[in-house]
Amino acid sequence: MIKDGSLQLIGKARELASKISTDVTAIMLGHNLGDVVKEPIYYGADRVIYVDHPALAKYVPHIYSNVIVQLANKYKPEIILFAATKRGGRELAPYVANTLRTGITADCTELDVDPKTRDLDQVRPTYGGNILAHIRTPNRRPQLASVRPNVFPTPPRDTSRKGEIIAEAIESLPNINGQGLIEVKSVVKGEELPPVEKADVVVVAGRGVGSADGVKLLTELAKLLGGTIGGTKKVVDAGWLAADRQVGQTGKTIRPTLYIGVGVSGAIQHVFGMKESKIIVAINSDPNAPIFQYADYGIVGDYRDIVKELIELLKNYKK
Amino acid sequence: MGGLTIIVPVKAAVPNVTAVRLDPVTHNLVREGVPLMINPYDRNALEFALRLKDKYGGKVITLSMAPPSGKDFLESTIGMGADEAYLITDRAFAGADTLATSYTVARSIQRLFPNFDLIVFGEETTDSSTAHMPAQVASWLSLPYVYYAVDAEVKLEDRLIVVTRYLEDEGVYETFEYRMPIIVSVYRNSNPPRDISLVRKVEAKLNNLVKTVDNNTLKLERECIGLRGGSPTIVAKIEDAKPIERKKQIFKGDPPREAAKWLLDNLTKEGVIKP
Repeated sequence: MIKDGSLQLIGKARELASKISTDVTAIMLGHNLGDVVKEPIYYGADRVIYVDHPALAKYVPHIYSNVIVQLANKYKPEIILFAATKRGGRELAPYVANTLRTGITADCTELDVDPKTRDLDQVRPTYGGNILAHIRTPNRRPQLASVRPNVFPTPPRDTSRKGEIIAEAIESLPNINGQGLIEVKSVVKGEELPPVEKADVVVVAGRGVGSADGVKLLTELAKLLGGTIGGTKKVVDAGWLAADRQVGQTGKTIRPTLYIGVGVSGAIQHVFGMKESKIIVAINSDPNAPIFQYADYGIVGDYRDIVKELIELLKNYKK
Repeated sequence: MGGLTIIVPVKAAVPNVTAVRLDPVTHNLVREGVPLMINPYDRNALEFALRLKDKYGGKVITLSMAPPSGKDFLESTIGMGADEAYLITDRAFAGADTLATSYTVARSIQRLFPNFDLIVFGEETTDSSTAHMPAQVASWLSLPYVYYAVDAEVKLEDRLIVVTRYLEDEGVYETFEYRMPIIVSVYRNSNPPRDISLVRKVEAKLNNLVKTVDNNTLKLERECIGLRGGSPTIVAKIEDAKPIERKKQIFKGDPPREAAKWLLDNLTKEGVIKP
């Protein structure tokens, strides 16, 4: 199965390629890949180059990076795009760019191409997100960029599309220098609520909730909303919540559909980690709390009374 | 068999990225004269390194490419427990993009500490957050590397290291075994850093413990460093990003039931909760 982030880039690449009359090639690495190598064609690629090799059965960062470099040296693309996943855009892309002695731009939010110079216009928010920088790599090729998943839409799957599929051999592999990957373990947590970075709805407790009991009340609200519970640094430092549920600059960055901050003052370090949520709700007894400046909906009042009412209403809401 | 030689490259981050000046020509951040602090995630990296040193012996060396004002935050790394700290500073290094920066960092480490075992980076920086540096330095040095490390064990006699890492987006732990030297970056939600000892920090300042190295010593190739020589990317233009518009609708005061109803009605209209 190909991840959405990659399919979305095939769609974007198709659009860029039309502007400079070139074609789109998808590359795939692995072992016993099977029919999945046809999939990129259905999403807009003109060509798929794949490397199927036992050494690629296990993911080892510098081995994967080196194979991509070998393909780039052979086929000389003008542009290489990576999905900015932890493995792809973060771990592999900068090694590839560096080994090709060219530039790279991380986490682009828009891409365009200049039909005259064939320069890739790489747009990325920078310096706290207040400025958009347009970055170019005018004198070197290829031009590399990564884009986070879900920035671009996933193109429709069209099984009538035709394209070329090439099996490529690799000339040489670098020394793994050890055994490389020796163990993979998925985290499966029993009945616990999902992690803050994975949930669509996150209820966040701030210091204003006053106690671990307050956090418990909010957890009940989070469950009724099908979401999860998070906290500010102060709440985690007070020991009312586990550290992996901290939201903010020194905790996790989240962008849920619905963020509800309860007793959260809205310190900039916290806002850093949640400001891109789709809808922001704040409940706080202090009408001057900065959090209200970032909120779509705010309620000024005692959180206990309001949250109890919300819980009551939601229980009936479901019926 | 001696202990480990661990290098922790650190970045002088700008504490408040929303209040900085940009160079009108290059559009780069103006770092000169701005109070600098250690990039917060680099402290987790330093903690990771110090734990390995506590367990297996050896020394931890911090290093930073920064303007001369970077000396102060490097003293903080000694305050936290680093044995030595190096400030790599030269006008010729200024304005570097990630390719030129990684070249400067990689070659500095190679020249100053040719026998290192491990380079430990923070996950990313809070002021530019590209996470490029670890992989780029690995490319210059042709070394194995792994991102998002949470823990490591070392078999000193075989110079082997077993690193466990956590991929937050997949919810997966992976364990790798390599022969050192290798490069790791440390998952930002792991290895909560120990406190900085002010006494040690002041000692570092009084005894001038941070060593400064310039390009007269390093002799790095001009075409690989700085803005003009080594940086293939240019900032072609900048524009203000529009902050996300918020509705800022406020329900004031009592009664709580009315407030709760008002909120649920609005959230239903927004389509973020469903009956």
